Amino acid sequence: MHVAQVRTYIANTLVVALVIVMLLPLLYMITMSFRTATEIAQAPLALPESLAWENYARAFGGMNYIRAVINSIGITISVTILTALLGSMAAFPLARNTSRFARGIILLVALGLATPNFVTITPIYVIFRDLGLLDSYLGIILAFTALNLPLAVFFYVGFIGAIPKDLMEAAKLDNCTDWQIFWYVVRPLLGPATATLSLFVMLMVWNDFTYPLLLLTDKDKFTVTISVYRFVGNQNIQPDMLFPAAVLGSLPLLALFVVFQRRIVSGVTAGAVK
Amino acid sequence: MTSRKSMFLFTLPALIVLGVFFVYPILLTFQMSFTDFSGVGEAEPVGLKNYDRIISRSRYPDALWVTAKFTVIVVLFQTLAGLFFAALLHRLPAVRNFARAALFTPAMMSFVVVGYVWQFIYSPFSGGLNALLRGAGLDWLAKGWLGDPDTALYAIAIAHIWMFTGYTTAIFLAGYANIPSDIDEAGRLDGASSWQRFRWLEVPLLAPSFTINIMLSTIGTLKTFELPFIMTRGGPDGATRTLSLEIIEQLFGRYKFGFASALSIVMLVIVIAVAVFQNWYLRRREDV
Repeated sequence: MHVAQVRTYIANTLVVALVIVMLLPLLYMITMSFRTATEIAQAPLALPESLAWENYARAFGGMNYIRAVINSIGITISVTILTALLGSMAAFPLARNTSRFARGIILLVALGLATPNFVTITPIYVIFRDLGLLDSYLGIILAFTALNLPLAVFFYVGFIGAIPKDLMEAAKLDNCTDWQIFWYVVRPLLGPATATLSLFVMLMVWNDFTYPLLLLTDKDKFTVTISVYRFVGNQNIQPDMLFPAAVLGSLPLLALFVVFQRRIVSGVTAGAVK
Repeated sequence: MTSRKSMFLFTLPALIVLGVFFVYPILLTFQMSFTDFSGVGEAEPVGLKNYDRIISRSRYPDALWVTAKFTVIVVLFQTLAGLFFAALLHRLPAVRNFARAALFTPAMMSFVVVGYVWQFIYSPFSGGLNALLRGAGLDWLAKGWLGDPDTALYAIAIAHIWMFTGYTTAIFLAGYANIPSDIDEAGRLDGASSWQRFRWLEVPLLAPSFTINIMLSTIGTLKTFELPFIMTRGGPDGATRTLSLEIIEQLFGRYKFGFASALSIVMLVIVIAVAVFQNWYLRRREDV
């Protein structure tokens, strides 16, 4: 028994050590963000001699950081509300219907889920330009909504399908219209599905690079990701700009992750498994 | 139970959004792929010229080859790394939750941030990797990892795998949670070693998790352009120029909208073919 305990102890220690090795790039990013460019050039791996907060001051201003964070939050909330509403509405009749029309829509949604957004970026750019949606919040919100909608429909079809049928039939007997059944009986039950969906939307809005690169040139409308890119650039990259921008760019989601890590990991995993 | 009319009304808003931002653009991509559209002005029909160009210039088959190589490396090693960590953590409940969350952390960062950080790790003079190698007395190994066509693609693949290993691990662990504990128990009673239980009980029972992981990472990797875009811009000498990076370059660098559309159609066909094949093959494997 004693030997087994020692073995488990050693194994645990080794695994934790291995996990810390995996986190080294993250620790590297944070450490370097507090060092000046000269320090990094002279001793690439040393710890900061003093905390170079001026790196952060410059990145903070140069990235228009507060504005970018507010933009990302606002876009996330708008896209979540839109996809949740449109997705759950569409899923409501689809969840229990096997008509040809219903199966056709499900097939369309499945295709939407499988198609990389790359296939449509050229025409989306042209359509948005012609409709005057480039560089507008409305445009980027609609683009992300369309991208997340198939996922939302799938989520809600599964979820609504699991709601007991009696509940809706009782409401029907009470002379509720379909809309009333949806709004007063079904919608209040969708909280957990919407929470998971919002997680996926948030990860996409905060991390997607394609759509902001394509659709936004106005600095005041940048999401966090594109503001990191525009600040750091792609030529002659300076470490004292790169690392603080990288930390600031990841900070909101990393902070959220530290607080809600259990729920985020299980939500994202469950979403993928379905 | 819902009437035909409300069926239509409930799905209508979603159908409009999908129609305008998904179905119509796909049809437009298809149509534009037969023109020389440059973003402005009239588009002249050019027949199959764009597709002919894709086949006849070595640049595009090369990009396909780079994409294929990148996808195979990432999917293979990410799946193996995820399985490795999941098998370990399954056996070590004390550190499981901590390790799962810690490994998952990079997936919360964006490609842009991950690309920048790893680009600097690999940089020839003040980068972290070379400093580490020199510190370990391995000076002869130090080099510009992203500047050498022989190592650039692998270097980017490592960054990608690093980013998503935790995701793969979490999905495998969810698969482990679905294995009935009496099966594991029976294996133990029969005197099977840890390795034997892993090889002959766990790996076969994890088949659905393999399916999900392989399909997710394949589709995710096939269409990736972000890391090469940030880290190498497709260089050196096209060694990291993936198909989707090529599409972005044709679009923004050269304004060849028609040609970019043809490349998009090629991409769509490849993604669908790979997804259908994998789905068929992996599901069949689950039943064995």
